[in-house]
This record gives sequence, C-alpha cells and structure tokens, in this order.
Amino acid sequence: MSTTTEKARGPRKAGAAPSPAAGGSRGRKPSMGVQNAAGWLFSTPFLVLFTVFMAFPILATLVMSFTDFGLRNVTRPWEAEFIGFENYVNLFGDEKFLKSLFNTGYFVVIGVPLTIGIGLVVAVLLNNGIDRARTFFRVGFYAPVVTTIVAVAVVWRFVLDPSDGLIAGLFSEVGWTAPDFLGSETLAMPSLIVMAVWRNVGTVMVLFIAGLQAIPTEVREAAKLDGASVWQEFRSITIPLLRPTVLYATVITTIGYLNVFEEPFVMTQGGPSDSTLTVSLNMYREGFNFFHMGYASAMAYVLFVVIMGITVLQLRLLKDNTK
Amino acid sequence: MSRIARTAPAGIALALAVTLSACGSSGGDVAADEKQTLTVWAMGAEGEKLADVAEVYEKANPNITVKVTPIGWDVAHQKLVSAAAAGTLPDVAQMGGTYMGEFSELGVLEPVDTEVFDKKDFFPAGWEQGEVDGTAYGVPWYVDTRVLYYRTDLAEKAGVTEAPTDWKGLKGLATAYQEKAGTKWGLSIQPSGLDTVQNFSSFLYSAGGEIVNDKGEAVVDSPEAVKALKEYGSYFDKGLSNKSVQPGYDVVKDFGNGRVPMFFGGPWHVTLLNEGQPQIKGKWAIANVPADASSTSMAGGSSLVVSKDSEHKAAATEFIKYLTDTKGQSDWYERTKDLPANTSAWESGTLADDADLQIFKKQMDTAKSSPSLANWSEITDKVDQAIAKVTQGKASAEDALKTAQSEIEGLVKQ
Repeated sequence: MSTTTEKARGPRKAGAAPSPAAGGSRGRKPSMGVQNAAGWLFSTPFLVLFTVFMAFPILATLVMSFTDFGLRNVTRPWEAEFIGFENYVNLFGDEKFLKSLFNTGYFVVIGVPLTIGIGLVVAVLLNNGIDRARTFFRVGFYAPVVTTIVAVAVVWRFVLDPSDGLIAGLFSEVGWTAPDFLGSETLAMPSLIVMAVWRNVGTVMVLFIAGLQAIPTEVREAAKLDGASVWQEFRSITIPLLRPTVLYATVITTIGYLNVFEEPFVMTQGGPSDSTLTVSLNMYREGFNFFHMGYASAMAYVLFVVIMGITVLQLRLLKDNTK
Repeated sequence: MSRIARTAPAGIALALAVTLSACGSSGGDVAADEKQTLTVWAMGAEGEKLADVAEVYEKANPNITVKVTPIGWDVAHQKLVSAAAAGTLPDVAQMGGTYMGEFSELGVLEPVDTEVFDKKDFFPAGWEQGEVDGTAYGVPWYVDTRVLYYRTDLAEKAGVTEAPTDWKGLKGLATAYQEKAGTKWGLSIQPSGLDTVQNFSSFLYSAGGEIVNDKGEAVVDSPEAVKALKEYGSYFDKGLSNKSVQPGYDVVKDFGNGRVPMFFGGPWHVTLLNEGQPQIKGKWAIANVPADASSTSMAGGSSLVVSKDSEHKAAATEFIKYLTDTKGQSDWYERTKDLPANTSAWESGTLADDADLQIFKKQMDTAKSSPSLANWSEITDKVDQAIAKVTQGKASAEDALKTAQSEIEGLVKQ
C-alpha cells in the first residue's frame, strides 16, 4: 500500500531532501577535515573494539605461536622464549595432531555434502510441495539451529544410548542389539556427523529457500510451457540459478565444520581413543588444560591456513563453473 | 589516520602503565586490627555458605568487612588463572588440591605461616595437597575421599551379608549381584575419558602403586601399577562394568534403580542419595575401599590460599585461622557436610558418633593426595589413555602402562 502512494506522488522533489545549498552562500559543504573527523569519531567505537578484541589477540597469537609460552608465562610473559618454527615443526610430528587433522577432514568430507544435499532437498520440497504445513516444517527443520548445544546433547545422548536409548529401543523391537554408537571408534564420528547435519540443515535450508524464491516465476513458467519435466526444470533452471547460494552455503558450512568443536566436546570429549578429537578440541585441550599456549597458537594458525586454502579453492572451483 | 595511528599505541601504552603500576603497589601491609575489607573467592555451594560464616565473623571482628564472591566450579579455574595473570586475585581464595602445583608455578601464592598453622592438626593427605616442593601454600579447609557405596538389599538377594574387604570379595560381590540379584552391572567404574584416573586410583594406591613417586620420578609401569590396571580391566572383560560411559554420566540414578549396585563415591553422595533417591533409604551402606596391599583411597578437597599481592595478609591469616580451627571446622561441617580437614574437629558431636563418618575418617587417615605438579592434568591424561586402551581391549596392562611411563618420563623431566 505504502509503495503505491509513494509512486503516486512521483519522484521526490529536490526541495524535500535537505539540500546542501539551502543555506545559500554561507552554508558551505563541511570541509574535508571536519568530515574526516566526524567519520573517525563515529567509527571509533568499532575501531577500539576491533583492535582490542580482534586485531590484538590475532597478532598476539601469531607472536605466541613462535614462542614456548606456557603456564609460568601467564604471569611472566616476558620470560617466554622465541623458538622460531619449532612449534610448527613439532606439530607435523605429533601423532595426536595429525589424527585430529584427519578427523576434522573426515567430518568435513562427509558432513558438508550431506548438509548441503539434504538442505537443498528440504528447501525445494518446502518451496514447491506441501502448502499447508509449510510453516510447520520450516520451523521444525529450523528448531535445531536455535537450540543450545547442551539441550541438543541431552536429546542425542538419549537417542544414541546403547542400553535404553531411542535407537536401542527400536532395535530391540525387532530383536537386534543396538551398537554402542558413541563408545565405538568406528561409529562415534559418523554419529557426531549425523548430529551436526541435523543441527545445520536448518541454516542451509533457509539460505536455499531465500535463493529459490529469488528465481523469477516467469522462467519456471516458460520452462513448463516448453514441456520441461519437474526433474528437467530442477536441473536446468533451479540448480544453475541457485549456484551462488550453493557456493555461499558450501563455503560457510565448510568453515563451520573445519572448526567443529561443540559436538565432540559435549558428546565424547574426543574419545573413544581420540577417534573424535578434532583440531579445535585438540587446540582447546593443549591451550587450556595443559597450558601449552604457544603450541596451541601454532595449531590455530595451521587451522587458519587450512581453512583459507580450502575456501579459496572452493571459491575458484565453484565460481568458474557458473560461467 | 596518521594521528590515530600515532595516538592509539600511546593510549594503549598508557593504559598498560596504569594497570601495571596498580599491580605493583603491594607495599605496606595493613595490620590485622585496622579497619579493612577482605575479599574472598569460594566455589560452588561453599561460596554461598561462606557468606553466612563471614557475617558471623564480621560481628566478632567489627573492623573487618568480608566480601565473599561465589564462583561456579565450571569457571573457577579459568577465572583464577586470568585473575593471576592480571594481578587481581582476591586476598583469600579457595583452591582445589589439583590447582596448587599450577598456581605456585605462577608465583602468585603466599607461603603458609607455619607458626600459625600446624601440620599436625590436619590429615596428612589434606596438608600435602597444599604443599609444593616442601613449602605449604594452602591451609586445608575440607577434605574428601572415595569409599565404596553398595546396595545392601540387593546384596542380601545375592546371598552376601558382609561388605567386601579385599579385591576378591569385591569381584565376588559384583558377580553375585549380576548373577543372583539380576542387576545390569556389578560395579560402576569409569572406562575412559577425562579423569578416569580418579576411579582407578583406589585400585592403584591399594596395590601400592603410584603415578609419580615422592622423588618426582615416573613409576606408572611398576608391577604394582600393572597389577592394579589388570584388576581394573578385568571388570570390563567380564562384563561386570559398562565399557561405554558417556561424559556427564551420573551414577546416582542407576544406583537408585538397581542397575548399578556398587560405585566408589565421595561424601557428597550421601546427601545426593538421601535427597534424590529416597526410595532406597536404608537399603544401601558404605564401606572402606576393598584392600589389596592396603585399603588406600584418593584424597581430594580444598585449601585456602592467600594471594602474594594481598595488602591484607595479616587479616587474611586471622580469617583462615578462624575457618580452620576446631570450632570453625565443626561449624562448617554442620552447615555444609564437608568433611573437616582439622582432625580435632572429629572428636566431638555427630562427627565422633556417626558410624558412616567414621568410615570416611578411617579412609582419610591413609588416603593419598596427588603430587602438586604444574602439569599434573597432562600427566593424568596419559594415564587416562592407558586405562582406556585396557578397558576397551586394545592393549594389555603392561603395554599400555609402558607407553604411559615413557610419555610421563618426558613430562616430569621438564
């Protein structure tokens, strides 16, 4: 409604907006210096916060990663010694770190395609099919995203509990014994992946629904008139037009999963036998349980480089395909 | 831009200078009888109850105002470390036994005045907890130790009337529970994960083993330790204990419903069982840790420390004296049911009469506290891993402990 009235009034007249020249010859444009000062003034709160809480810690971590910063240096930081690349060299001989790197890779390689795939399917179904229950399903799939990890852990522990959990109950109905999901070295990681996918599909789904709704209906109608089947329409219209969204969703999901911490932290603490120890969890334990701050910082920077490398690669691969 | 670039570092430097000078001004201690405010940090339930005690103390000592800040156990360690780094520790703080090594390494604790506090007044394990390299930094406030909790009603069903006193009796009872009383498990002990070593220590110490001896050498592959780990692992081999226990598992519920008829627990489990599982009141009992060479359990608890930077050391010492003398300790037991660290407090009232409490006292007399090493959590992590390998059937006790031994040797040398 409001848009139509705006339109009826026509384009805004120059007089409606405060004109810089309104004050005649006296009211000059503020000089560049004053403008700059105002700009700095308004961005100061951000700059201060950014410097204190982002830039400084990031730099401090980088410096720390070249030192043997340990517990005693918490009160005597000046006693930390520079040891060059020793932390980095040690990392690549550290079985535990390599295992955590492998585990994180496993999590990403299986988790990302599942999250994107399921998110896309759910979004398409919600966008096309079920008209009435749409809101219900959207909320249903989005609810896990906004639930705290502690509540999620309680639910999933109940689902996965080998003696009286939900799955164990279903198995015993048909006379089978449920596997011990979180206590098994082979099943613990897949269980956490399923849990993470369940938690993250909602986010991806929302992105895809927004992307789908941005596809003009005319294009779809034209395809239908040309006699395209549902599958053809999906393949030739939806997917190509959704590509930017797929790219974005893939990149953020990958970054999120490379940082995975919460699921193993609350469900398994990295066990059994380090089979769910991820890089982030390893870093947390080295830094805050054992106070190997320098070593943990080096780990953070290796993870950072890995994340940056993979993101650049993804942007390149997926972007080129759009052309 | 250029101006900001020039002034910002100057500002930061100024701010740092102000903070540093604030930290440095610890000179001039205030005498105990002057008017002053004492800041105290205490954790969890203790933090809340201590405020009441502080009120009583203030009435008797009008010149002192005690400001108690309760801190959650989950954030306590981090808060203390960051306060130590920033030089803002309170005058008096409660510290868990395992923190002692770390904080003395940080150099932020004032040594205990041994003319005021006498080692002889306290349980040996309680005092040792506050000691690092022969210097005491913490006065023991309360102690705890693990004893065996078992279901008497189910034991009767299984045809056992006496509490197990040795390893053979313990395993016999666990088997009988499962076979004759139909319980799911025989004994609840932790198979893997963080701090599994706490459960294992009752076995380790009773067999006469240790992780690091009093000379600071790693001794975790000793024949005694191997024997203890073999025994521990056999409960999982035989299906008497659950191989898969998830983080955050609470044994109290399963003890209540009879799924788990035995576990090793601390004094706080008495209250938890009485309040949370009233349906089994009178159907369970406690006993000393079943013995091998001896019946030796682990000791835990908390100490009270004074910050090195405190300007109120005299008053802080007075306040700690008040909390840890006979009267203060009995009063504290009445308020919290925390076990007094001062042995003289056990000589009167409920503490002297209650049979269950005497079991705790007996256990406490011989209990062992863990060595106060700064990297203790890293050392126990290696033992946790060895235990996990054995309980999951991945390695023999000998091999697992041999690996742990060589790893711990590298850690104690530093």
